[in-house]
Amino acid sequence: MNKSPISTAVQRVDSHGKTSGETRYLADYYYPDMLYARCVRSTRSRARILAVRVPELPEGYYYVDHRDIPEGGENCVAMINRDWRAFAADLTSFYGETIGMLVGPDRSRILQIMDSIEVEYEDLEPAVNIDEALALKGGPIHGSDNLFAEINLTKGDPDAAFARAARVVEGTFESGAQEHVYLEPQALCGTFEDGKLTIHASTQCPFYIRHSVAEALGWAAEDVRVRQTVTGGGFGGKEHYPDVLAVPLAVATLKIGKPIQLVLPREEDLEVTSKRHPSRITLRTALDSDGRILGMQLDTIIDAGAYESSSRVVLQRAVFTGIGVYDIPSVRAHGRAVATNTVPADAFRGFGAPQGLFAIEMHMSQIAQELGVDEDEFRRRYFVRRNSATITNGHVPEDVKLNELLERVKQLSDYDRKRRSYARGGGRGIALAFVQHGSGFTGSGERDIIKARVRLRRTEDDVIEVCASNVEIGQGVDTTFRKIVADVMEIPYTEVQLLNTNTDLTPDSGPTCASRSVGVVGYLLQEGARKLKARANEPGPIEVEQEYRQPPEIRWDAETLQGDAYPSFGWGVTCIEVQTDPVTLEAGVTGIWAAFDIGRAIDELVIQGQIDGGIVQGLGYAQIEKLESSNGRFQQITMADYVIPTSLDYPAINSCLVDNPYPYGPSGAKGAGEVVFDGAAPAFTLALQHAFDLPLRRIPVTPEYILEVKKHARNPVHA
Amino acid sequence: MVTFHRPVDLAEALQVRAETGAIPLAGGTDLLVRHRNWAGTLPRIDKPVVYVGHLQELRRIDISGNGSGPQMTIGASVTYSELLDHPTTPQLLRDSIIELAAPGLRNVATLAGNICNASPAADAACALYALDAEVELAGPSGRRRLPIAEFITGPGRTALNNDELVTAIHLPPDNSTVKFYKKVGTRRANALSKLSLCACARIVDRTVTEIGIAVGAVAPTIVRDRDIEHHLQNTAPEQLALRIPQTLQQYAELIRPIDDQRSTAEYRKHTALALIEQFLTHELR
Repeated sequence: MNKSPISTAVQRVDSHGKTSGETRYLADYYYPDMLYARCVRSTRSRARILAVRVPELPEGYYYVDHRDIPEGGENCVAMINRDWRAFAADLTSFYGETIGMLVGPDRSRILQIMDSIEVEYEDLEPAVNIDEALALKGGPIHGSDNLFAEINLTKGDPDAAFARAARVVEGTFESGAQEHVYLEPQALCGTFEDGKLTIHASTQCPFYIRHSVAEALGWAAEDVRVRQTVTGGGFGGKEHYPDVLAVPLAVATLKIGKPIQLVLPREEDLEVTSKRHPSRITLRTALDSDGRILGMQLDTIIDAGAYESSSRVVLQRAVFTGIGVYDIPSVRAHGRAVATNTVPADAFRGFGAPQGLFAIEMHMSQIAQELGVDEDEFRRRYFVRRNSATITNGHVPEDVKLNELLERVKQLSDYDRKRRSYARGGGRGIALAFVQHGSGFTGSGERDIIKARVRLRRTEDDVIEVCASNVEIGQGVDTTFRKIVADVMEIPYTEVQLLNTNTDLTPDSGPTCASRSVGVVGYLLQEGARKLKARANEPGPIEVEQEYRQPPEIRWDAETLQGDAYPSFGWGVTCIEVQTDPVTLEAGVTGIWAAFDIGRAIDELVIQGQIDGGIVQGLGYAQIEKLESSNGRFQQITMADYVIPTSLDYPAINSCLVDNPYPYGPSGAKGAGEVVFDGAAPAFTLALQHAFDLPLRRIPVTPEYILEVKKHARNPVHA
Repeated sequence: MVTFHRPVDLAEALQVRAETGAIPLAGGTDLLVRHRNWAGTLPRIDKPVVYVGHLQELRRIDISGNGSGPQMTIGASVTYSELLDHPTTPQLLRDSIIELAAPGLRNVATLAGNICNASPAADAACALYALDAEVELAGPSGRRRLPIAEFITGPGRTALNNDELVTAIHLPPDNSTVKFYKKVGTRRANALSKLSLCACARIVDRTVTEIGIAVGAVAPTIVRDRDIEHHLQNTAPEQLALRIPQTLQQYAELIRPIDDQRSTAEYRKHTALALIEQFLTHELR
């Protein structure tokens, strides 16, 4: 492998503090006079709130609710839409919704008072799943049709394709909710600093918090300051969700005028914060008499929960990624994000792509099986190439190295031999999944919505300072940003100073999400560093800014969703090997191999961390992370019941990278944080399907689900 | 506020228990988790607590021999880690401890606490049923011993009186020649059981002379049935095979699991019966 010096692993700048325990997280900070906050939450999935009876409060204790929003403000959490209310006032739409906030100095006393707060409800009929929501049970939750978003796309001539079809193969695939389980729960502190309302937060997106707080208060954004504290993991769960806590906290801080800490206990965090969208995706494929694909129909439904949050964009990514890595001549896609009376779903590593990729990988293999041909060879025949037309009638703008990735994974895993020797239904299985993940915001979102800016400075003392709003959440960006700048400036990376994100001092380079920090913002840093270097001979301090510019060949129409949905892609091949227990129907993963094209690694160890973590999190999603909802309430709300993988659940991962430098990425890098997650679920499920010789249609694939499928397979009447 | 007693010896502990009805606390891995509270606040326990984890009388493992092998007396405050380290700990109990929780928890959790918690999913308790363990209790009127199945009376319920403490668990000599332990958990490690099977048998001259089958997490209490076992005893393994269908039917009557957040009744029943069948057909050879 061609190793560029920048890829060589270095010691992460945050590793000592985090491993020694010296690093302080939000809950480790105390301010004089600091108060604690606890949310009063709805205990109904859908109800009118008739009255909230708060007992007379002792001195120093406060109850805060929608009536405390200052004049000129609005009872909303402004995200993409503003339908999520900061405080439920006359109506509650999901179990756990914030009604009010109790604030005071002594936490035991707060709990006592919480026990005596009474909320009087008039129950309404909730719609707690996709079917109930589409049937408008209890009347619409949103608009007239319960759809937060609907997408219709056409590529080629699907009607003609289905009219010509010799046969049609259809499959419906479902995926469940998933909890982020960031190590540090949601944590914020509201205070006044230099007379300015300041929110300290464990967050991926300080500027999102500033926006939603300012909008709710009716203030200018500049009148609010947000400072990111060291963030113990995010995975998308700290993209928008901290806004939901920040707005009520800001209202309380404004009312009371003292520092207030709001840290969610783990159980509360599990029960009320956003999850990955559950999905149901139906795929139909028209085949000619030789078994060639003529066209495909997608019907993609995601369960968005009670408020819109990011569901419109999650749906877009689920649909845009819905035909995977395949060049399908004709496609008709219909996507819907459905409102239900459940905790709103929001961003989670992959952002709709894992659902779409699970369905298409399972469906392509289903077609191959029905045709009696090799699943891998069948899929390989349809791999996209440079300039292939995408589902949005754009083009693939880069060399596609899927065949090379496939060969590398086959070598690593001894795939062909194993695949031949594991008989279908014989208890062992090995399978591949092919995935792609567009880096950055959808379409022209980077140019039209984010408008990222970074700033670089050479100070009086000749120190290089970097300001960007993309934050370290465990993914290594504090190290990779330094390396990118250091590489241009030709100085050691440890000499680059990266300023902590403070919305007063840092330019807005956009949120920490969508595999965009290195691929998109890292490129701005590289370009900015080049400007700085070109002026190296100037005396005194120098400051440069760098703004985002869209790569020239990208065309996108945000109204019609036509054109190039993503300027670059990560590509991956994930291989999973399983052995099953015929008595308990449990599955053990016995091998994991993967190869990725992420352009070029800024740091091989950081990328290995992303690969290992992404695959294990994806396997958890596929196998054990069961999060069931009953009447709108999650059932697995302790760490004992919502189980995530331990180091004993999966073997060591053997992975490699294939270089494919991207001209608009720093040193050729593209996004890596999500593509590493995407392939685990389909590869695992396909391997299990082979080992059991059973048609699997849903994740997580628990032994309970296997038993259910086995019984149906024995009694086809019930199928 | 919680009143916390730290007695100097067992006598004082019994006195506190008799006078106040204080809840015994050893490792605290069930009690303190059940009553956990918001960070920075005390656990919400509505009774006093009497700590027994340090009492020397309860910290001992005693081995006494008789003709048929070592008999083990495990003090109520002996931790799982100490049991794992002890050479006399029977294989079945050892197997269940290895798959129980994680090392940190095993360093403080106790076997006695596990049975007092009386969860039908308690892993080590299941082994105690199969091993014919007896529980020793001390109170104002002296000591008494109960078979484990009489000590645990229902989910979360035991025969322990308000003025009594568990002092020890007695294990008779383990003469089994076949041992089979299978825990079906929610993941590989640090997991709660969906169900478990703890079984052992003694085969002498191709005859099954003794058999013990305990099934966890499939009924309000751990399932062990001596009548069914009786019908399997004193047979050759080949004859025993003929009785399997009928035996499974009998167990099917006793195995009445529930649907919960960890598994389904259907899966629990199916798998418990499949594991019993596996034990009877493949392990008893």
